[in-house]
Amino acid sequence: MNFQLIGVLIRLRYKLLWAKTRTRNGKIALFFAGYLLLAMVAMLLSLGGVGAGMTAIRSGKAMLVAGALLGGIYAQAIVASVVLGFGMTAIFSETELRRYPVRALERRLTRHFIGIVDPYWLLFLTLDLGLAFGLYLFGAGSFWLGLIAALLLFCSNYVAARVLGMLVDRLMMKKGGSAIMLVCIMMLGLLPATLGPVIRKNPRILDAAARLWQSTPPAGAAVAMTQSNLAAVSGLGLILLWMAALLAVLVVLERRPPKTRVAQAGKVAWESPFDRIGAVFGPQTGPLVAFWLRFYSRHNRFRTIYPLALPLAAFLQFFYGRQVHAAGGTFTISLSVFLILGFIGTSQFAVNQFGYVGGGFRRFLLLPTGAATAFRAGSYMFVMLSAALILPAAILWSLFVPARFDPRAIAMLVAASVTSLFFFHGIALWTSLLGPRRGNYNQSFGNDLSFAGNIVVIGGMLSLLFLPQLAAKQWPGALTPYYWWAAAVAAPLAAVFYFTSLHFATALFRAKRESLMVLLEGKS
Amino acid sequence: MDAIRITNLVKRYGAVTAVENLSLSVRPGRIFGFLGPNGSGKSTTIGCLTGLLDPTSGTVEVLGEPFDSENAAIKKRIGVMPETLGLFDPLYAKEFLAFVARMFGLDEVTTRQRVTELLDALELSDSSKTLAEYSTGMRKRVAFAAAVIHSPEVLFLDEPFESIDPAGVALMKQWLRRFADQGRTVFMTTHVLETVERICHDVAIITKPGKLVWEGDVTLLANDGSLTYNGQEFRTLESLFLHLTGEKYTDLNWL
Repeated sequence: MNFQLIGVLIRLRYKLLWAKTRTRNGKIALFFAGYLLLAMVAMLLSLGGVGAGMTAIRSGKAMLVAGALLGGIYAQAIVASVVLGFGMTAIFSETELRRYPVRALERRLTRHFIGIVDPYWLLFLTLDLGLAFGLYLFGAGSFWLGLIAALLLFCSNYVAARVLGMLVDRLMMKKGGSAIMLVCIMMLGLLPATLGPVIRKNPRILDAAARLWQSTPPAGAAVAMTQSNLAAVSGLGLILLWMAALLAVLVVLERRPPKTRVAQAGKVAWESPFDRIGAVFGPQTGPLVAFWLRFYSRHNRFRTIYPLALPLAAFLQFFYGRQVHAAGGTFTISLSVFLILGFIGTSQFAVNQFGYVGGGFRRFLLLPTGAATAFRAGSYMFVMLSAALILPAAILWSLFVPARFDPRAIAMLVAASVTSLFFFHGIALWTSLLGPRRGNYNQSFGNDLSFAGNIVVIGGMLSLLFLPQLAAKQWPGALTPYYWWAAAVAAPLAAVFYFTSLHFATALFRAKRESLMVLLEGKS
Repeated sequence: MDAIRITNLVKRYGAVTAVENLSLSVRPGRIFGFLGPNGSGKSTTIGCLTGLLDPTSGTVEVLGEPFDSENAAIKKRIGVMPETLGLFDPLYAKEFLAFVARMFGLDEVTTRQRVTELLDALELSDSSKTLAEYSTGMRKRVAFAAAVIHSPEVLFLDEPFESIDPAGVALMKQWLRRFADQGRTVFMTTHVLETVERICHDVAIITKPGKLVWEGDVTLLANDGSLTYNGQEFRTLESLFLHLTGEKYTDLNWL
């Protein structure tokens, strides 16, 4: 085994991470990582393992409490790793490592060692070790057995996250995989609310779940940390068994690379619906609108997010509306939903219009049109696509939302949506130009937008979700269909804002096109 | 009237000078080779000539008219194959070329005809692959096709032959010669000096930072002639280039 070279590769990974901090986004990411780490360490010190160990002992049910705590840590590590990408993406790929003189086993070891020594995972190790130490300190278990259990649990936790991560990746690569994934996430979100009544009706489920729980790695670790006899060894054995099984699955998954979807020959048509839609915008802008439609119709993230905008709005309306006792009732939630709908389908792309074209940006500047025509065409397309969601949403709302039919309510919701549509797409124009630097927020926000883009998208969504409720609380009765005309006045004002922004942003685009090109082509 | 005229062109990026006081002109019907070592400012100069970059000072005239990035009329008459190719990866070659053709104002029938012919000639007819799935050489062919599809009067090519197979290079050279025979102009950069000797009429050599050090007719080499610089004669373009750019070979004992 070439441990020297493996060591060099691990050091290289950290050198690359450090090199990233030279960019502005890298500095921001470093600041956030440092801040988060500091906050988590402080949390660890105050609420950490020793305290947890003490609580477990004092409760008289050390094993049960330890099991629950370890289970929580285990699940959180997996969820944060798989869903948010923490400690997952900054690992060399197999292809990258193939260029070095390391064998298959050494490559696998290198990749996973780099993965497991990620600060993210070390944090969970600290939590596991803290609990083991706490339990030992208060006399509930053996130091060495606790240490071994914590280390084994930590390793199995990492492997489990990797396995689940790979399965999710494969699912996402399949046709409709992202939709299945969203349904899974929604079901997971609804689980606590639906599980309660089911358990109350049938308490035996709880016993069965407890029995099942006994055969999981956290339960095994809890046994090993709180016992010092043969039971403790059986707990370690259980973790080892799990780890062997997970490792076997991981190796199988890694040896079978996912099949890439092959495009079918002969499907490229001369005249497509994109061209027909584009033709509406005239001979100059039309081909560019058609181009953008075609471009994003092939973009995986767009293909996932845009079609999910309506289901997501429905989800927010029905489930958020039921679970939260919102000020102003269902209609306030509907208002939030329609405001969000004006932007949600295209937000991630509209705020970073050229972020996905890479070297293709240069082509726009070579076309015999004004330099900013592509910019305008892209914005028109986003507005058009977002606008296309409003009418179906209004129809669905009037059909399914349990409220007495009131045309003023529908007018108010549609006008609110149009207001948000123009307002946010106006903001998006400026964000595309002023914050075009592609960031790496895959590990935190699950996207690669710029910092400014993330502020607009995430901040915008949260504001739209909560501001109407705050307003309803502050001025009860203000957000009712009676004041529908206020939204009808806001919509044209937002349109004026959008077109004014378009005018001035176009001028800014011309001035900034060189620096944009340098940035987008990754030369800065 | 010159096809291209550059007068005192300066391009600076902050404190860094990429092109320094460059002046040259290219006559119509000529294939002009623009040579220089890596980082000498060739692509920056092409950027200024094609509207990608704004010169810091100096003027650029293309086809007798002052040219800037907003001059759509001149842009319609030139074709550009940029250094980074400027392709849109998710598109198919046919879609990309049809898009470019439409943007350059070609009608539906001409677009279909030219796209089909170009794809056939450049062996890009495999419609199952998007541009992202193409090899580097195939991507270059697509970028070349996009540069010529509207039959421009002046063609700017930034390193057109690198990564393309010999058959593709031969075809492109043949097209370029015919292009020039029709009175149209080619302005190209390349590091393949043998190719320059064979197809270019005129050559300019620049050194860092974008400083013109030699300009002349290289067709003399084809007739067993030589190139002169400061009274010194050079039998090949390579020897002149190495002399001017100060390239030196360092012998590494361990290699």
